[in-house]
Amino acid sequence: MNKFFTKNSSVISLIFIPIIFLWHPNWLGFLGVQPYWPLFWLLPWSMVNGPVNGIIFGLFLGLILDSVTLDGNFTQIPGLILCGAWFGRIKIHNNLFIGHLRYGLICSLGSFLCGTLYFLQIMFKNFSDNNFLIFIPNIQNILAEVFLTGFFAPFICSQLVKVIKSSKEKIAIINLSKN
Amino acid sequence: MLNVRRISTSRWWHKKKNWTLFGIFLFLVFVRISKGSLYKDFYYFISKPFWPGQFQKEVIQKSSNQESLKKLNLLQKDNIRLREILNLQKLSSADTITAAVISRKPGSWWRQIILNKGSKDGVEIGSTVIGPGGLLGRVKSTSLLTSSVTLLTSPESKLGVWVDRIQINGLLVGLGNDYPNLIFYSKDADVKIGDFVSSSPASTLLPPNIPIGIVQSVDVEIQSKKTAKILLLAKPHVIDWVQILKVKI
Repeated sequence: MNKFFTKNSSVISLIFIPIIFLWHPNWLGFLGVQPYWPLFWLLPWSMVNGPVNGIIFGLFLGLILDSVTLDGNFTQIPGLILCGAWFGRIKIHNNLFIGHLRYGLICSLGSFLCGTLYFLQIMFKNFSDNNFLIFIPNIQNILAEVFLTGFFAPFICSQLVKVIKSSKEKIAIINLSKN
Repeated sequence: MLNVRRISTSRWWHKKKNWTLFGIFLFLVFVRISKGSLYKDFYYFISKPFWPGQFQKEVIQKSSNQESLKKLNLLQKDNIRLREILNLQKLSSADTITAAVISRKPGSWWRQIILNKGSKDGVEIGSTVIGPGGLLGRVKSTSLLTSSVTLLTSPESKLGVWVDRIQINGLLVGLGNDYPNLIFYSKDADVKIGDFVSSSPASTLLPPNIPIGIVQSVDVEIQSKKTAKILLLAKPHVIDWVQILKVKI
């Protein structure tokens, strides 16, 4: 049982993404907006496991998060898939300080990409309405989300990189000992 | 020693891992089609210890007494008007379900709340949800144990409302911020700051005379439409208990 949790701790941590997404803790928010939680998990996972895994789990995360939100017309999948592919091509930096700053910057950019893709879907759907009032709060949402995601990423991603890396190493050790 | 074995006819379908990933993908597609009811039910169980306490009910009762007084006045007026008009459909006795808010997203892109009562408790899609202060939104989807409510502030929300002072109907549209827009399709609508907005007596979606909000500002007239910003009376980011109205209109 213990071996199972050690082996799969990285995937088990994925379960917390929809939970925290639904929980929506107000005290972590800014202007009523939360950080974009899935990127905190997707960045370390893709950095450790590569772009293909990033794309697959970006798709999985997108499916999960679309399931728990009510907007049936819009999807988070394209943004998360693109982020998964991009994050997979980034290597972990040796310098601790620069590495932490990179997590913040990359997550901010990823959040901007996901937010913009979501906003474009809303804009495309409401284009005929000529209701430009709807766009102002959405731009505010993107900016607040980018700021918060970049702010929290260094703390959360650095810890998750450790968890995912150690889980991967333990799987390799278990496989070697079997051979 | 590593035992490396070369497989000359290796195909993707020979790998167990790929089938596992495919299985997970199918499962997630099923969850997506079922609108995440499995996740929501799972979330119901793990969030149970953190649900708001019973003392909240007293706070709600106090607020709802105040709300009831205002509502009573509106209902009396409405009753007289309806009796004059005759043959308008009457509202059956309101059957309410009290539910706790177990997840809320009143900001950001997704403006929704999740309640701890689902189809098992008789909640139906389209039911009206009210909190202390007035209308919060309508039930968009239900799972066995939970129901998800689209808030009035969501861009997906569009409802017919009634401005009592000038006796005119308008369309309340969520914009994705805390102040939904009230649209009048008439230049002559003499709407003023402070006007009280309630659900429309002619609405087919909502029971009549549920308090909604107060006109906060009136915008410049565009394309023969008059618009106003509404300050909602019910605040979804602080409400812990709500009532679901099971009314047949």
